[in-house]
Amino acid sequence: MSEMRIKNATVYDPINGINGDLMDIAVKDGKIVDSVNGSAQTIDAGGRLVYPGGVDAHTHIAGSKVNVGRIMRPDDSRLNNKPRTKVTRPRTGYTVPNVYSMGYGYAEMGYTTAFEAAVPILKARHTHEELEEIPIIDKAGLTLFGSNWMVMDAIREDDLDRLAAYVAWGLLASRGWGIKIVNPGGGEAWGFGKNVSGLDDPVPNFEVTPRQIVRQLAEANEKLNLPHSIHLHCNNLGKPGNYETTLATFDVCKDIKSKRDRQSLHVTHVQFNAWGGNHWGDFESKSEPIADYLNKNDFLTIDMGQLVFGSATTMTADGPVQYANARLLKARWSNGDVELEDSSGVTPLEYHPQSYIHGIMWAIGLELALLTKDPWKVLMTTDHPNGGPYVNYPMVMTMLMSQKRREKEMAKIAEMTFERTSIAGIDRELDWYDIAIKTRAAHAKVQGIIELGKGHLGVGADADIAIYDIKPDETDATVEFDKVEAAFRHAAYTIKGGEIVVKDGEITATPKGRTYWVKATAPADGHERMMEDLKMKFKKYYSVNMANYMVEDEYVEHPVVFETGYQ
Amino acid sequence: MIIKDVLCPFCGCLCDDLAVEVENNKVVDVKHACKIGASKIMGHDRIKAPMMRDDKNGEFREVSYDEAINESAKILANSKRPLLYGWASGICEMMKKGVLLNEEVGGIIDNTASVCHGPSALGVHEKGLPTGTLGQFANRSDLVIFWGCNPVQAHPRHMSRYSVFPKGFFASKGRKSRKVVVFDVRKTDTAEMADEYVQVNPGEDYLVLSALRAVVADKADVVPDSVGGVPKEKLVELGEAMKGAKYGMVYFGMGLTQSRGKYKNIDNAVSLITELNAYGKHSILPMRGHYNVTGFGQVCAWETGFVNAVDMSRGIPYYNPGETCSNDLLMREEIDAAFVIAGDAGAHFPAQSIARMGKVPVIQVDPFHNPTTEMANIVIPTKVSGVELEGTAYRMDAVSLRMRKLVDVDFPSDEEVLDKIIAKIREIKGASS
Amino acid sequence: MQTVTLVPKEQFKISVEAETITPDNFAGKSTDEIGALVAFEGNAPRPLSELFDIKVDGSADAADDVKIEINGNVNRVKRIGEAMTAGLIMINGDVDMRCGAKMKGGTITIKGNADSWVGQEMTGGEINVQGDANYYVGAGYRGEACGMRGGKITVFGNANDFVGEHMCGGEIVIKGNAGIMPGLSNKGGKIVIEGDTDMPGSEMTKGTIIVKGTVKDMMPVYQKEGIEAVDGVEFTKYVGDVVVDGVGELFVK
Repeated sequence: MSEMRIKNATVYDPINGINGDLMDIAVKDGKIVDSVNGSAQTIDAGGRLVYPGGVDAHTHIAGSKVNVGRIMRPDDSRLNNKPRTKVTRPRTGYTVPNVYSMGYGYAEMGYTTAFEAAVPILKARHTHEELEEIPIIDKAGLTLFGSNWMVMDAIREDDLDRLAAYVAWGLLASRGWGIKIVNPGGGEAWGFGKNVSGLDDPVPNFEVTPRQIVRQLAEANEKLNLPHSIHLHCNNLGKPGNYETTLATFDVCKDIKSKRDRQSLHVTHVQFNAWGGNHWGDFESKSEPIADYLNKNDFLTIDMGQLVFGSATTMTADGPVQYANARLLKARWSNGDVELEDSSGVTPLEYHPQSYIHGIMWAIGLELALLTKDPWKVLMTTDHPNGGPYVNYPMVMTMLMSQKRREKEMAKIAEMTFERTSIAGIDRELDWYDIAIKTRAAHAKVQGIIELGKGHLGVGADADIAIYDIKPDETDATVEFDKVEAAFRHAAYTIKGGEIVVKDGEITATPKGRTYWVKATAPADGHERMMEDLKMKFKKYYSVNMANYMVEDEYVEHPVVFETGYQ
Repeated sequence: MIIKDVLCPFCGCLCDDLAVEVENNKVVDVKHACKIGASKIMGHDRIKAPMMRDDKNGEFREVSYDEAINESAKILANSKRPLLYGWASGICEMMKKGVLLNEEVGGIIDNTASVCHGPSALGVHEKGLPTGTLGQFANRSDLVIFWGCNPVQAHPRHMSRYSVFPKGFFASKGRKSRKVVVFDVRKTDTAEMADEYVQVNPGEDYLVLSALRAVVADKADVVPDSVGGVPKEKLVELGEAMKGAKYGMVYFGMGLTQSRGKYKNIDNAVSLITELNAYGKHSILPMRGHYNVTGFGQVCAWETGFVNAVDMSRGIPYYNPGETCSNDLLMREEIDAAFVIAGDAGAHFPAQSIARMGKVPVIQVDPFHNPTTEMANIVIPTKVSGVELEGTAYRMDAVSLRMRKLVDVDFPSDEEVLDKIIAKIREIKGASS
Repeated sequence: MQTVTLVPKEQFKISVEAETITPDNFAGKSTDEIGALVAFEGNAPRPLSELFDIKVDGSADAADDVKIEINGNVNRVKRIGEAMTAGLIMINGDVDMRCGAKMKGGTITIKGNADSWVGQEMTGGEINVQGDANYYVGAGYRGEACGMRGGKITVFGNANDFVGEHMCGGEIVIKGNAGIMPGLSNKGGKIVIEGDTDMPGSEMTKGTIIVKGTVKDMMPVYQKEGIEAVDGVEFTKYVGDVVVDGVGELFVK
């Protein structure tokens, strides 16, 4: 393939400890190499900011829930419409973009990899159909296990090998990357309209607790030596006072050890789970104890789940929360329970700065990022499209970098917010290096894809590179935040696997991305016991035959298979 | 040779337990399917070769695929308002090409739902859809309501596989674990085997649904003595029964989508279910007709943002049923060329639409002769998806599954034909720009 | 005062989207400039000069001083007057769908009939339909919470189903009959139907509906309050829709 040189790049590559060095980057055959010869295509970055391609460890971009959102919301699809170009297909949608816009939008911001955060195994085929249609970016999916009958039965019978075998099988069946747990146990309770109230509330009819589900899946995760840790959406999301559940949940995995150089637990969109008070009336931020915990413990990581004012479409496997939201707001509501596996709900809503509840939620996300000392521990996300659409990432980045930018936002937010949060008093401003950590390096580390060449610009890495129209040394991000946001919004160059896909914020090429999934080997006798249980469940309870269940090769046209196994 | 776990390419049940015996590359027996599914798989007379005629009343002459494809491309490339209709009997892979074709020609793409469950989508835009996968209902439901649908006739294995008879994890007595109620304007075969039949006056389902909602909201005092032909005491009894259900399920069909109020009936039913979720667990599901009509909605939504009836004449997708559906356009005589694939316009459209199709070039892509063929100028036969071609389909509950190929035939697939038409159109349009 | 007269050159069959025909777009333009504005006949871009005979008298600096007269049936010309802020459009014939959609101000008078979605998502201004109107008078777009938010629509003939669906403000007067479900899911605004209608005010949370003719089927979700006079005329007053805790007022003769 072609050779390329990027010269005069001001590089921030935290995984390799590069902090604003002016250097050249050489690319050959889609990878970063030491050097290329004189005839290589040359891009002169002119001293501008260069990051590895963005990595989004948690977003809802493909599959049943997203499409439910699209079908329900022609009012959203009529927004952000762009006709086709020589290179691009027509684009629609703001919170639920069509598949083409989904890929282009990420690439335009310099992002090159994204993880679909929740894949139900029975509907994984659909997820992959959509992932295949999303242009440019590389992707993976996290498979739902947290309310699954096979999982709960193995846990109740204290059979870790069987559990691990099912996880391995489930990842194969769904071509998934890792274990996703959403409101553990609650998805099953929701099958009859109930929920679980906390870690020790047993799941009706299954006699296992959320605590057991989290713990055992974490153990199975490490037995299988999966690249990512368990990825957890805590119980009691969206309920004032839930921060206690969150802290207790962290403790469940405190002594879980991984052989890999990563966390043992990743907790997602913690903003929604860092709530104090007892009800909406005394609702307040509890980001401080959460940040405090993170400052004292190295075994876990989180992502923000930052709120963005304006329209959102909430979509999550936390069925009970979605119903509660819809009832409260008298909003449209779609529910999608998946037999034997999990639940889901989709509800459109609007976040208003004049609602102090939304104001507090807005503050919490930023507080979590700014109060946690180590930038590697808190990934920047909006839980797209739950907190807000991903196209707002550049705005969130500037809010992390500039207190003035936060103050500008705060000026339109309900006053009461500031009595219940600490954001107004936080003056920490993250720098270019910190932002590179929070938008690519840490995401890659958390997901275990550094060794696959993601999230960094060292020799051997994928040539996924973003050049932004900012001269870091000449730009004061604490005041020039509008310029910074515009620059992050429309990359000067996005290079994907050595090919220029975006130039001056416009899509120039639309190669197909790859899909990463994990093939794990499980202990033989655990696998046997698992298959016996599985066959019985297919015979008696699934509405689909086992022979038609697993995702076939045809649905993953450009796979990258990560092999690992039972330890 | 017996091929097991075969998926049926007929109705939205997408039964996947069929066993098909194939001998010498021919289907000789189909087991477990209902009569209609078996009939489709066994196969029948098909169109042998592409054919064309200028005069719709004249004789067809046999032509090559290239000639038929090129002429089709020419017609579509030169149309100002072409309609691309059908899709529901095809696989998802070809639907994606349909969306692309629509972009190329700046026309309208629409599927069979616009004469069927299209109103259900309109109800969903208003209220959403609280639902789940069929196994969820089989395992849990203790109250099953069929409203304006007749599965005994239209979805023959639905009750035995999903809605009524299965011994579910939480409904271990199968039929005896559930109470079955039918709401319909007449006593259908399904009503005959139900535990209770509630007769609703034609066109008054909306009123009955509203009255039930009032009962559920403890506001029965405003409800008059009789609504839609149902006495108030009965409405109160039914409302209370629904409130008391552990898992209530409503399956609905054309009785709601095509009667007075249309999409508002669905909208109202969804609201009733949503409100019932304050008391127990309740879900609702449309009984989709064609085996992959759900698939079209899914593909069209992820490709364009809209579920069907997408007008690309202005270069960006525009959706507005009442304005952009096939019959809206045909009845106004707007369509100047019709491309009908994997769907039978001739059998299902109103007379006025058929009259319009009689006046414009009609291209048909289908393995079988049907009423659309009578109106066609160009006919292109293709493989029977799900029998002669593998690919993706979505069951009525939006679970996607892979259809199998059972035999080999020497026809092109829908997708191959679409690819060639698209390529030719690009050639034509490229030449003129 | 700038007066622009448009006479359709043909009876269009395939609908023409002409959202460019607004006082805002025409203000201060010459005949040639107006003629160069593009409309779409299906997928085919066509300059207005190809579709209409155009005559311009006088000039104007702004939309409020512009009058557009369309002489002839434009029953296949959509989106006339879309998003206009001021000025006058007079259509001497029938007009197609979405006439005056998203209108902010000014006046549109249609001498003939108006097809569906006249005044869709209107926020201000006035539309008068002297003939009949089709479906969704002053309604919203699929999935939006609000349709009409302000302004006034008067239909002198009959209207079809779903008058004022999702209305949040403004006023609609139907002098003739209205089809089923006027005032559907309304959160505000006022609808007056002088003729007959059917199932008014379903899921109304706020707003007013006055029916002077007969209601075929009343929604079974309204609380009867008693007799109340409106502008000196006695009506039976109902409040509802009770299922959605509505406080909408429904007056029936």
